[in-house]
Order: sequence, then structure tokens, then C-alpha cells
Amino acid sequence: MDGDRNLDRFLARVDRDGALAEAGEDLEVALSRRRLLGAGATGAIAVLLSHAGLARASSGLSKTDVNILNYALVLEYLQASFYTEAERSGALSGKAAEAARVVGATERAHVRAFLKLLGSQAVKRPSFNFQGVTEAQRPFLKTAVAFEDLAVAAYKGQAPKLQSNAVLAAAIGIHSVEARHAAWMRELFGITPAVRAFDQPASREQINRIVASTHFVAAHPNMQGRANPQYTG
Amino acid sequence: MARSAALGEPGQNEGGHSRLAVIVAGAVAVVAATPFLRLLHVGSADAASKAEDERILQLVLKLEYTQVAFYQQALRHASLAGELRRFAQIALGHEQKHLGAIQTALGAKAGPKPTFDFGANTKSPDAFRRSAIKLEDIAVAGYNGQATNLTKGTLAAAAEIVSVEARHAAWVRAIAGQVAAPDPVDKPMTAAEVAAGLHELGLRTA
Repeated sequence: MDGDRNLDRFLARVDRDGALAEAGEDLEVALSRRRLLGAGATGAIAVLLSHAGLARASSGLSKTDVNILNYALVLEYLQASFYTEAERSGALSGKAAEAARVVGATERAHVRAFLKLLGSQAVKRPSFNFQGVTEAQRPFLKTAVAFEDLAVAAYKGQAPKLQSNAVLAAAIGIHSVEARHAAWMRELFGITPAVRAFDQPASREQINRIVASTHFVAAHPNMQGRANPQYTG
Repeated sequence: MARSAALGEPGQNEGGHSRLAVIVAGAVAVVAATPFLRLLHVGSADAASKAEDERILQLVLKLEYTQVAFYQQALRHASLAGELRRFAQIALGHEQKHLGAIQTALGAKAGPKPTFDFGANTKSPDAFRRSAIKLEDIAVAGYNGQATNLTKGTLAAAAEIVSVEARHAAWVRAIAGQVAAPDPVDKPMTAAEVAAGLHELGLRTA
């Protein structure tokens, strides 16, 4: 279970304040009003953030919010890499191929938005090994359903813990997009897109356990290089 | 498939219940004497509060009333068949549970059931599909638009509802052959925008 242990270690690093807090002094600089307004010009999420008033946050993001955003970033990395790999595999056709293209572009946009927002505080992208599920349509769709349902539950679990209203407004707008993705992938997989009247949240521990059980995060995540803001999947 | 099988089949257990009633019942009791005046005035700079929660719950009460009535009438008059009919039936069931949870949360302070005139929107499959997409998008944008105005406990409860509305929106888009999730982030609506959107679809009085 090396995969599990490595993932746990990796996620623990994401969760802990240590590495993220090291450059605490830089945080306010990185998330200064000027920088956020600049970011606001480039994408729907950033625009939403600035509209929602993040620019008014006088002291940048709290440690709690940085921590949660990095956690969300890891889930977005996971999804973006998954869809990008599936697209490139050439194994998808028809509606599934179109959905992978659209959803993949969205997840990559989420990654870019979080990288921009977090600046130097962003955690690095781990290496993934999807173990063949991106190379055939049915395994792809089943995994996509799982990832999207997981993302909905994860955002739902974290949203009430966010301290900045601007970050909350963006996160809640992403949360419902993940739910749209979940329904879409379920439809394509042939299962009911909306099963329950009330979607339940999941804790970080629950999410970590499920992600670890997949072994999709490679044994040697690339934690050394700088996060690349040009990352496209 | 062993690896993805490990992920299981999430979200399949039926019978999820709302924490909304539990969380909000106490809050509403506190503001039971507050006049029912500030409805549809969302967008003010008020900080989240129990009174604010109640005001927002009155807004989403209208939203859920509209959805329930819309699906009920469409199931009677829109000649729905196949997956579109199944969608309408399942969505109706969810909206009825949402409505019930919000009514419970508001108790005696819950606003009255509005009247509706959906016109052609519930009279044919095509019109129903188009209107259902609009209505579910309004629901998502309406809940999302209030996220920062809610107290954290009520936000957690509302978040359990909004993603279900988003699933409905994507589902009916997929049935219509459209891109089911066109945007990277869902844009919020103000309460006034929600009210205007609901009126356009058929909400008349409250």
C-alpha cells in the first residue's frame, strides 16, 4: 500500500500549515488587491471573485482559506489530468468525447484560477497514474462519475469553512458546476443523474480515503518543481 | 476496472434527509416576531444573520413552490414521455422534498403558496424542456447568489439542495442534446433577478 501511504503523506502536506505557512509574509503581497484585480481581467472565475468583493479583502486570504483552496486545487489537478489524459488517449467517441473535452477544459480553467489566486502558495501538481481507466470509454465514464460526485461532496464539505466571502462565492459557483458534470457523466454512463433530493457533503478524511483507495496518485508525486501557472493539463 | 470499482458507486443511496429543518428551526424561532417585510430585498450589505437566513428562506420557498407547480403541471399537460417524463417525475420528487424542508424550517412564518400561469411552458415537451432548463438554472443561480448572505449552518444545508438543482439542470440539458455544463463557474443571480426570472416563467403572486 505504498500508494496509500504516499498519497496520505502528500495530502497531509497539503492539509498542514507548515509548508504553506512558510512564506506567510509573502501571502498578503501575493494576494494584494492589485494582483487580484489584475487576475480578475482574465477569466470568469477571477471576474466573479473580483465582483464578489475579494478585492475588498484588506488582508488577503486567511491561512484557513489558503489551506482549503490548496485542497481544492489538488482535486482539480486530479480531474484536469484525468480528462486531459482521456482526451489524448483517443479512446473516447461521440457524446463521451465531447463531454470529456468540455469538462476537461473547465477543470483546467479551475486549476488555472486557483493557481492564479494562490500564487506562490499553490501546492505543486502531483504525478498521476490512472492505470488504464482513461483508455476505454466505460472505465472512463465510471471513473468520471466517481470523481465528479466526489468533487461535489468535497466542495460542499469545505464551503461553509471558507472565511472570505469572495472565495466562498467562487467556490460555490464551482461546486454547482461540478454537480452539473456529475449529472452529465452519470447520464452518459447510463445511471440516474440526480438520485437524492439532498446531496451530502464529505469530509477531507473521507475524500482522502477514497482518493487513496484508487492509487491514482503516483508513488512519487512531483513536489519539487514550482507550480507552473501555464499548466494546461 | 478493479481500480475504479474501488471508488464504488457514489451517491446511490436514497433517503437523504435535510439538516435544514434542524439547523434553521431554532433560528426561525428566534426571529418569529420579525415582520415579514424585507422579502425580495436581498443584495443589501447586511451581514449573515438569523433574520437574514429567514428572509432568504422565504425567497427560496417561492423558488421551490414554482418548481413543484411547474413539474406538476407539465406532467399533466405537456405530454411528456420517455426519459423526459422520468426526469420530470424525479425532479418533482426532489423539489417537493426541498419545499417541505424549507416549509418546516420556516414553520408558521412560511409565505403563502403563490399562484402560477405557466402558459405554453407546460403544454408541450419542447416548451417544457426549454423552460425546465431556465428554471433549474435560475434555481442554481438563486441559491448560489445567497451563499455569502447565509449563516454557515444554513449555507451547509442550502448547499445540499443547490447541487441537486444543478444536477437537474445538466440532466435536462443532456436530454435536450445540449452541452450539459457550458460554463466553468455558475454565475449567481440577485433576488430581484430570480424574482424576474420566475415571473417570466409563470410565477404570479405570492
